[in-house]
Amino acid sequence: MADQVTYPGSLIAVDGSRAKDVNAAANAIASALKASGVECAISRWDASGLFNELAEGARNDRNISVRSLSLIYAADLAFRLRWEIRPVLEAGGVIIAASYIETVVAFGGSCGLDEQWIRQLLRFAPEPTIHGRSKERKTQRPWKRRTDRGYCEFAAVMLDVSAPKRASHAARRVMISKLDHPRGHKAIELDAKGVQAVVKRTRKKATGSRPAAASQQSSRPRSGRK
Amino acid sequence: MARTPSARRIRKLIAERERSRGLLIAFEGPDGSGKTTQRKLLTRWLESSDHQVVSTRWASSPLVKPMLKVRKKIRTLSIEEYSLLHAVDVRHRVETTILPALWAGKTVLADRYLFTALARDAARGLDLDWLLHAYSPLLWPDLVIYFSMTPEDSRRRIASTRAPHFYEAGQDVTGIEDPLASYGRFIDRVVKEYNNLSVVFQFVTVDAGDAVYRQHTHVRQLVEQAAKRPWLEFSEEAVEEWLIKSHTLEA
Repeated sequence: MADQVTYPGSLIAVDGSRAKDVNAAANAIASALKASGVECAISRWDASGLFNELAEGARNDRNISVRSLSLIYAADLAFRLRWEIRPVLEAGGVIIAASYIETVVAFGGSCGLDEQWIRQLLRFAPEPTIHGRSKERKTQRPWKRRTDRGYCEFAAVMLDVSAPKRASHAARRVMISKLDHPRGHKAIELDAKGVQAVVKRTRKKATGSRPAAASQQSSRPRSGRK
Repeated sequence: MARTPSARRIRKLIAERERSRGLLIAFEGPDGSGKTTQRKLLTRWLESSDHQVVSTRWASSPLVKPMLKVRKKIRTLSIEEYSLLHAVDVRHRVETTILPALWAGKTVLADRYLFTALARDAARGLDLDWLLHAYSPLLWPDLVIYFSMTPEDSRRRIASTRAPHFYEAGQDVTGIEDPLASYGRFIDRVVKEYNNLSVVFQFVTVDAGDAVYRQHTHVRQLVEQAAKRPWLEFSEEAVEEWLIKSHTLEA
């Protein structure tokens, strides 16, 4: 089950507690890579549309647990791996996954779910070549309750609609502290310097390998507020 | 957010509920083995003896059903996606239908339970260890009635009634175009997996080849003799998680 395959391409994982920052970091890496002559694609959260359909279907019934949401995240990630991530990796290209494993692990952990359970669940996903972390902004604020932005914002809507803002804020702080100390590998903080470091490492690996003509395969960011 | 009650208090509550809680009975077996017929007969019999009965069917969670239906129709699911969406279905039904009913003292009849997913997904080549992990924490049924039949009989019964659907026939893994031919090959693997699971999870077998009334008599006997699998011993984590999430403790 575990993805032990070594791919010729590079997978850059970008995780964070706020989707806006994650997407901005992914875009910054993509722009910097393109400027240095390396083509890349971005695989974004909910490319499968599962969460979108869930939001539509669960308008009147938001009785869902963080465990179920983690399972749906895993299904979405399986979709992204099949259609967006693995094809690029197999072709020797560069793909940015925004978001990837650490986001769901840290979020689940902040809600009291066993992090090891989530890691085992997602063991079908390949290890990223580089693990980046978006620079956390507006850390004093809770998650925006929006179903169209990112996983944490979506979960904030679905999990506890009646919770006071401070509860959501506390959970976000816990999540940030978990992202600060991921298990097994150190994440690069994706400020301007971090982005350049990622580009440098990626270029080094990409030199000599075939660039992927994958720009068109990028999943689009979710459309704006409905 | 409510304060999480102590583990000791939760254990005490679960232990106190053990006597009055309902029984969870799972009906398992290959397609065409007569599970639904027997489940309906048992429902009627239990209701006639003043039991409150809740039935829950496979892939029926209102949350997941529309997603699964569309994706099955356009045949777009990978093995992992198929498996994970069914895991969401089971989890959601456990949390919103099965556990609330059991807690309230009702008998729950599950027309297929997680063993269907384990058998089918393992037959599709997924690692059983990973599957069990995806379905954990497990809510163990008190009784699993397995309607046993040979793959050939299952194929014959299905062929006489309808053409199996794409995923039901396992066409996503066999690659055989004819649904019935594919089903014949796939069900062979599924039955093998069921046989392995029956040992681990202590299924009680009913011969699906018997006359309907004989099977029903047998099922009645099994239900009358069924003993509860203590929650604290078998399903503590699943019940505890539900109790905390559903705020039942505050009530």
